[in-house]
Amino acid sequence: METVIVFAYAISILLMVVTPLVLAVLLRRRFSVPWFLFLVGSATFIGSQIVHIPLNEWLADVGLLPALGSLEGFPLWRTALILGLTAGLCEELARTVGYALLRRWRRFEDGLMLGLGHGGIEAMVFGGVQVAAMLTSLMALRGVDLATLNLSAEQMAALTRYLDFLNRSPLWAALPFVERCLAMVAHVILSLLVWRAFVQRKAWYVPLAIAYHTVFNAVAVYVAQQTESVVLIYGMLLLLLTPGLIWLWRVWRKEAGPRPTAAPLRVEWRCFMAAVRKELLQQWRTKWVIVVVAVFAFIGMFSPLAARFMPEIFRSLPGVEQFADLIPEPSVADVVEQYVKNLQQFGFVVVVLLGMGAIAGEKDKGTAALILSKPMPRWAFVCSKFTAQTLVYVVGFLIGALCAFYYTWFLFGPVSMGAFLFCNVLLFVWLMTYVAVTLTGSALMKTVGTAAGVGFGGSVLLMLASSIPTLSSMMPGALLAWAGQVGLGMSSEPVTANGGALVATLVIIILCVLGAMAAFERQEL
Amino acid sequence: MSDVAIRCEGLSRHYGEVIALQDLNLSVPYGSIFGFLGRNGAGKTTTMRLLVGLGHPTAGRAWIAGVETTNADSRAREKFGYLPQDPAFYTWMTPREYLDYAGRLFGMSSTDRKSRIEEMLELVGLQDAAHRKIGGFSGGMHQRMGIAQALLHRPPVLLLDEPTSSLDPAGRYEVLDLLDKLRGAVTVFFSTHILADVERICDTIAIIHKGQLLLVAGREELRERYPLNTAVLERDIASPPWSENLLVALRAQPWITGVTQEDGILRVVVNDVAQGKQALLPLILQQNIILTRYEWVRPTLEEIFLKVSA
Repeated sequence: METVIVFAYAISILLMVVTPLVLAVLLRRRFSVPWFLFLVGSATFIGSQIVHIPLNEWLADVGLLPALGSLEGFPLWRTALILGLTAGLCEELARTVGYALLRRWRRFEDGLMLGLGHGGIEAMVFGGVQVAAMLTSLMALRGVDLATLNLSAEQMAALTRYLDFLNRSPLWAALPFVERCLAMVAHVILSLLVWRAFVQRKAWYVPLAIAYHTVFNAVAVYVAQQTESVVLIYGMLLLLLTPGLIWLWRVWRKEAGPRPTAAPLRVEWRCFMAAVRKELLQQWRTKWVIVVVAVFAFIGMFSPLAARFMPEIFRSLPGVEQFADLIPEPSVADVVEQYVKNLQQFGFVVVVLLGMGAIAGEKDKGTAALILSKPMPRWAFVCSKFTAQTLVYVVGFLIGALCAFYYTWFLFGPVSMGAFLFCNVLLFVWLMTYVAVTLTGSALMKTVGTAAGVGFGGSVLLMLASSIPTLSSMMPGALLAWAGQVGLGMSSEPVTANGGALVATLVIIILCVLGAMAAFERQEL
Repeated sequence: MSDVAIRCEGLSRHYGEVIALQDLNLSVPYGSIFGFLGRNGAGKTTTMRLLVGLGHPTAGRAWIAGVETTNADSRAREKFGYLPQDPAFYTWMTPREYLDYAGRLFGMSSTDRKSRIEEMLELVGLQDAAHRKIGGFSGGMHQRMGIAQALLHRPPVLLLDEPTSSLDPAGRYEVLDLLDKLRGAVTVFFSTHILADVERICDTIAIIHKGQLLLVAGREELRERYPLNTAVLERDIASPPWSENLLVALRAQPWITGVTQEDGILRVVVNDVAQGKQALLPLILQQNIILTRYEWVRPTLEEIFLKVSA
């Protein structure tokens, strides 16, 4: 049963991440709207939260909102209204700034994509990442005596309620997804209200959007606290969306432009597959596969060897004899530490070196121009490079992991294959972040040198962001810690899962690939 | 189906203050070999890039074989073959591999691809190099490879951007000969600044200058449009050479607009044909030149081009 529940939540998380992308692809195919607008919509959401979250914290500090996790002593209607108003103000004003900056994009379809980008990233972050983080935290708390956790009565009640979800029907896992779908619809309606303010030059549409957003959020907060009836909560939200949907339908019929004829999907898919084939052939012919496999195999072999023999080498150094007893005996933990550290250092350099010229090099040499004068869609050009690199790293990782596993087994005795494989999966996802960042740099820049600069710079920024305390647990860097712990599972150490970091890293990868596609599809060659 | 292979309506491209192309309106009929003539920087490559969808127009639209190319519709790309000015290929591939990749992009079946690749390699004379890496190819081989990849999917329209500019005389001859063989079967839109190439194979000519289309006409129609205003004089081998004094004297005449001499042949362009016919010969004969040829002809394409784009 437990496996089924975890699987159901995994599907729900996947849907929250993938649904916005699928809708955006459909919108692109139907109306030829650029990915750029999806990313601008995402940026308006992120920008709004940079103000929204501290604003709510400040309101809690000054006593207008309750502290996190407690509603005691505050009238619910007022709390719901203030929360709704701050969300409405921050998000609708961020959207307004977005439209003000996008002077060339004033089509109805552009408004749809902006709304989808805004609601889509919210679904990925507030849906996928948060549910994953919560799920793994709750899984870790199963079997733990909650009385030992030093929680308030209210926190204890909330935690017990959340833990109860793990014992309910797997169908409950669909709720976060349904909620995010409703929120996405709301964002599309709100985006078009703000769009209307610009195209009709009627500023009152902006306060209308703020008011609508306020009411929607306030009712959601209020009703969710008043009842546990899912039907009532979602029914109320659907009721609130109904006038917006009717308005949206009428505007759609009036404003939607002519449908451009897109190439059939099978044609685009055919080009994508041909491009992946070419990329893999290129990796093989230019010996990059061998370089990648050699580097990962070296890391895989070197880590256990270094862990096993480094202490002996130190002990044999002249003058160290007197400290020989202080050097600890090597263990599997040392192997894992070495392995993670080596992958972090060498793997990162390899992915930047391999990826920096992927698109920039083709633009610079002119090969991209010739290929893109054929029916190759630009998304396929970008995605084929990411896919081929991913496949090469999968092979590299597999060989590296097998080498590490074999040498660890040989030098330290039996270890858990499953734990080591999962450790590698986490390290692989971590590494793919930098593949995606480098690909974005390569798409943005015209020369390989500048692409390398952006790739390295972006990667360093991401690493720095991983060290910010409030963000660190949800950044790719957290996967290294998790991978280290999982790896230690080979020596029966306890493991704290971090599903939030895993989903957040996947979202970062998706955003980077979308960024590469958005940048590349607008470029002249 | 319309009989227009390429159509542009108000096609413009501005780079900030720089106007690379302004309001290009053009129709290229099916089956023609269309020479798009202009000096370096006239806007030929910009036009090509806009036509094939690699550039974004500031204004205007373009269609190839009835499908719009300026709205990122990738279906349009099946309607043309394109050869850029400096075609760049994957140097690690062989011509056969590159053509196979291109064929896959066009959705050609495996059997069709194989036979068509051999056909193309034979057409451009690269069978012997089919197993060599493209990285080792000469400029001429690159250009021939470019033509092969452009023709592979049997497009009704071929867009060639300065296909002969980087070639030696033999390579130029080969490429022009190849294009001449396509006459009637494929519409060739061919940009160049080499007038001799246009004069040799193009049946319709457009002249573009500083982003503006100056004229479009059939090759013969264009020459017919210009009067017999050029005197061609060829001296006898025993005659003294054209002296500098004579050339200076000729250039000083108000009715003469240009004097050039090459291989003993003097070309004198006049703006008053009547006066030229009356006064030119006495001026020459004063220098004791013995003539073997004296003829009034129409201006060459080069002279027309220089006049139009002055």
